[in-house]
Amino acid sequence: MDTVLEIKNLGMSYDTTEGSVSAVDNVSFRIMSGEAMGLVGESGCGKTSLGMCIMKLLPENAKITNGEIIFDGEDIVPKTEDEMRMIRWKGVSMIFQAAMNALNPVYKVGDQIIEAIMAHDKIKKEEAREKVRDLYKLVGLSPERMENYPHEYSGGMRQRAIIAMALACDPKFIIADEPTTALDVIVQDEIIDEIKNIQKKLNMIMMYISHDISVIAETCDKIGVMYAGNFIEYADTFALFDNPLHPYTKALMSSFPSIEGPKKELKPVPGEPPNLLNPPRGCRFYPRCSYAEEICRKERPEFIESESGHFLACHRVI
Amino acid sequence: MKKIENKKASQIRQIWGLVRKSTFIKLGVSIMILFGIMAVFSPIWIHINPEIYDPIIGVDPNVHGSVGPSLKHPLGTDDIGKDLFSQLLRGSQVAFMLGMMVSVFSTIIGAAIGLIAGYYGKIWDTLLMRLADIILTLPRLPLLIVISGIFGTQSNWIILLILSLTFWPVISRVIRAQTLSLRERPFIESAKVSGVSNTRIIIKHLAPNVLPIAFYYLTVTVTGAILVEAGLSFLGFGDPSNMSWGMMLQWCFVKGYVFKAPYWMIPPGLCISLLAFSFYLIGVGLEEMVNPRLKKR
Amino acid sequence: MGVDYLRRIVKKMGKYIIGRIIQIIITFFIVMSIIFLLFRIIPSDPSSFLLTPSMTAEAKETIRKQFGLDEPIAVQYFIYLKNFIHGNFGTSFYSGRPVMSIIMERMLNSILLITTAVIIAYIIGISIGKAIAWKRGSKTEKFFVILGLWFYTTFTPWLGIMFLWIFSFKLKLFPLGGMITPEKWILDPSLMEKICDMGYHLILPLVTYVLLWFGGYMLLMRNSMLETLKEDYIVTARAKGLKEKVIKNKHAARNAMLPIVTAFAISVSFSIGGAVLIETIFSWPGIGRTIVEATLRQDYPLVQGAFAVITVVVLLANFVADIAYAYLDPRISY
Repeated sequence: MDTVLEIKNLGMSYDTTEGSVSAVDNVSFRIMSGEAMGLVGESGCGKTSLGMCIMKLLPENAKITNGEIIFDGEDIVPKTEDEMRMIRWKGVSMIFQAAMNALNPVYKVGDQIIEAIMAHDKIKKEEAREKVRDLYKLVGLSPERMENYPHEYSGGMRQRAIIAMALACDPKFIIADEPTTALDVIVQDEIIDEIKNIQKKLNMIMMYISHDISVIAETCDKIGVMYAGNFIEYADTFALFDNPLHPYTKALMSSFPSIEGPKKELKPVPGEPPNLLNPPRGCRFYPRCSYAEEICRKERPEFIESESGHFLACHRVI
Repeated sequence: MKKIENKKASQIRQIWGLVRKSTFIKLGVSIMILFGIMAVFSPIWIHINPEIYDPIIGVDPNVHGSVGPSLKHPLGTDDIGKDLFSQLLRGSQVAFMLGMMVSVFSTIIGAAIGLIAGYYGKIWDTLLMRLADIILTLPRLPLLIVISGIFGTQSNWIILLILSLTFWPVISRVIRAQTLSLRERPFIESAKVSGVSNTRIIIKHLAPNVLPIAFYYLTVTVTGAILVEAGLSFLGFGDPSNMSWGMMLQWCFVKGYVFKAPYWMIPPGLCISLLAFSFYLIGVGLEEMVNPRLKKR
Repeated sequence: MGVDYLRRIVKKMGKYIIGRIIQIIITFFIVMSIIFLLFRIIPSDPSSFLLTPSMTAEAKETIRKQFGLDEPIAVQYFIYLKNFIHGNFGTSFYSGRPVMSIIMERMLNSILLITTAVIIAYIIGISIGKAIAWKRGSKTEKFFVILGLWFYTTFTPWLGIMFLWIFSFKLKLFPLGGMITPEKWILDPSLMEKICDMGYHLILPLVTYVLLWFGGYMLLMRNSMLETLKEDYIVTARAKGLKEKVIKNKHAARNAMLPIVTAFAISVSFSIGGAVLIETIFSWPGIGRTIVEATLRQDYPLVQGAFAVITVVVLLANFVADIAYAYLDPRISY
C-alpha cells in the first residue's frame, strides 16, 4: 500500500482587518491508497480550510504559511495557479455542500458536468455527454435530469449531481466537505451509502469532512480530530471509538446520545474555542480541558505516535 | 443606562472611523465645503458694492457688452454689464438650497410612502407602488418640461415641488423592499404582539433600520436635483426672479456668447458638474461603507 | 430560423408576455388620461389646447368636429382616446402641420442618435466594468470609477458646449450642429454621401452621449460582478480547474449581467431625458428638442403628441427588458 497524500506540518492563515488568523497549524497526516479518512471537529476548527488548502482554493487574503502537501509524489504547495488547474478535478476533486448556489443557476446541470470533463480531457462533446449519463446512473439520478436547471432539483438530487460532477474526471482523491449536512436523515443515509460504495468501487482515496462523528464513523477507515486549527488525535476508526485518548475526543464521543445502552446524561463541552487571532501559547484546548495541568498552559503538546498507528497531541497521556 | 450610551458612542466612533478612511467621502466633502464657502461668501461680496454686484439687478454702468475677467469683475461681465462672479456665488446658494431641500423632501416623502406600502401591504402597497411606477416610467426632464408648460415656473418653490415629485418614487421603492424584509423579523413580531401601535412600530422600530439606505439616497438625490434644476433653467424653465448656474449658461447660450466668452461659459457648467459630482462621491463612499459585499475582506 | 426562435419564446412565456402587455396598456392609459385632464382642466379655456387665434375659421371647425370640443368632457375623453389610437393629435399651432407627421420624423432622428449611443455606451461600460471588478482594489479600478462617476455627473449641456467649442469652433474638425449640411443635400447626392454627412454630424453628439452614459453601466456591472464573485458556484468553477477567462465570462459575467438588463430599460428612460439637452445643444432635430421648443412656443397639440410618443417608447423599452430578463434567468417562473 502506498501513500497517495501526505501532509507535513501544514500551516495556513487568513489576513483580516483585525490581524492574521491562524486557521491551520502544524497539521501532519497521511492517506494510503484505498483509504477513506474522516476529518472531524466543530465549526471553525479549520477542517474546511484544510480541505481548501489541499486544492489550493484559498481566497485572496489567505496563504499557506508553511509545510508541504505531497500528492502523488509531488509537493503542490509551490505550484502555480496554471499548474494547479491541471491537477484540480483530475487529480483531486471536491464534493461541496449542496447549498443552492454551489451550481451555477443559469446553466443546465448536465452542461456544467460536461464542462468539467471537457476542461481536462480532449474528447468530443458527445462522448462527454455519454460519460455524464453513466455518472448519473452511478449516483442514482435519471439521465433525463441532465437537461434541468439546479433550482429544479431537490436537495438530495443536487447533492447526487455534485457527487457525479466530482467523479467526472476520474480523480484519484476526493474531498467531501459536509456533503450530507444540508439533507434530512433518510436522504443522508442514502448518500452516505452511495459515497461508500463509489469509493470502494473506484478505489479512490477520500477525505470526508464533517462535524458529525457518527457519519464519519460509518464511512471512514481512519479519523483525524481537529480543534482550533490543530490535529489533536488521529487513529483507526475502531481504535478511536474503542479508546479515545484526547480529552476533547472523549468529550465529543460522550456528547452524542446512543440508542442502545442505559440512558446517560449528555455532557457538552463547556466554554468556547479560542480566538485564533491570538492563539494561546500552550495547548489550545487548555481552557476547556478537565484534565488540564500547568504544562498544558505553557507548552504546546507535540503531535506524536502514542500507540501503534494512534497519534495524539496531549501532555497528559504521554 | 450607561452601557447603552457607551454602545451608541462606540457605534458612532466606528462609523466615523470608516468615514475618515473613505477616499470618496473625503474628496466629496472637500469639494462640497469649497462651494459652501462660496455660498456663504455671496452676501459678503454683494455688500462690497450692491449696485454693481447684486446678481439680479446689479449692473456696471461703465461696461458695454461682455468683458473678460478683471480686478473689478473677477469673472468678467455678461452682455449687459452684470457681474458674473456675483451670479456664480448666488448660483451656489441656489444650488445648495434647492438641491438639499428637494433631497430632504423627496427622501421624507419617499421613505414614508415606502414604509407604509411595505408595512401595511395589500391595497396600500398596490396603489402607492403603482403610482410610483407610473412616475418612474416617465422620463424626468420631458415630464418636468410639460408640467412647467402647463403650470409655469414663476418661483423656485414650484420648481422645488415638482422636482420632489419626480424623485420620491425611486426612494420609496427601495425603502419598501427593505421594509418588506424587516417586517418578518422577530423584533417586529414581538412588538406587535406586545400591543405596540402600528404607527409606533413604523416610527420607532422600522424607520431607524432603513436610515442607512435613506441616507445614501439623501446624498445622491442632491446630485440629481442639482443637475435637473440646471437642465430646466438652461432650457428656459427656471425661476426668472432668481439666478442659478443653469440660468447663467442659458443666458450665455441664448445671447450667443458660448464661443465668444469662455469666462462666461465655463465657470457655471463646471460648478454644476463639480457640486453634483461631490455629492455623488459622498454617496458612493456611504454605499461602500454600508454594503458589506462590496467591501474588501 | 428567427421566426422559429420567436415562436419558441412565445410558447414558453406566453402567459407572462400577455400579462406584461396588459400592464403596459393600463399604465399607458393612466398616463394619457392624466395628461388629458391636466391639459383640459387647468387653463380657463379648455379648447385653447387645440385651437389658437391664428388658425383659419375652417381649420378651427375641423378641429372642433374631430375632437368634439362642444361635447361634455366625458365624451371628449373617449373621442380623445379614439383619435389617439389613430394617431391624430391635431395640428401644430406653429407650423400648421399635423402633429403626428412632425413627431414621426423627429422620432426617427432621435432613435438614430439614442440607440447608437446607448449601445456603444453599454458595450464600453460593461467591458470596463467587468475588467475592473476582476482587478478589485487596484489603482486602475479607482481611476475608472472616478472617471466614470465624473462624466456621469457632468452637466450635459456644458459637456456638449465644451466639445463644440474645442472641436468645432476652435479646431474646426466637426460641424457646429444640426443633422445634415443643407447645402450638400440640395445637390441631390448619393445615398452613401447622405449617410456620410449624417454620420459626420452624428459624431460629436454621440461622443458626448457615450461619455455621459458609460460610467453608469460600468459601475452597475462592476457592482454586480463583485456580488457574483462571492457566490459559491465561482468556487466550484475554480475547483473544476477552469481557465480564468472562462470563469470570468461564462460563470461570473453571465450572472452579473442579469440586473444590468433591467437597468438597461431604466436607462432608456434616462437617455430620452438626456436627449432633450443634447439635441438642444447640437441642434439635432429630434423629439427631445421638439418637446422643448413646442412647450416654449405653447404649441400644445405638439407637446401632447410628443409626450405621448415618448411615453410609448419608454414603456416598450421596459417591456422588452422585462421579457429579456425573464428569458435569461431560468429561475423566473412564468
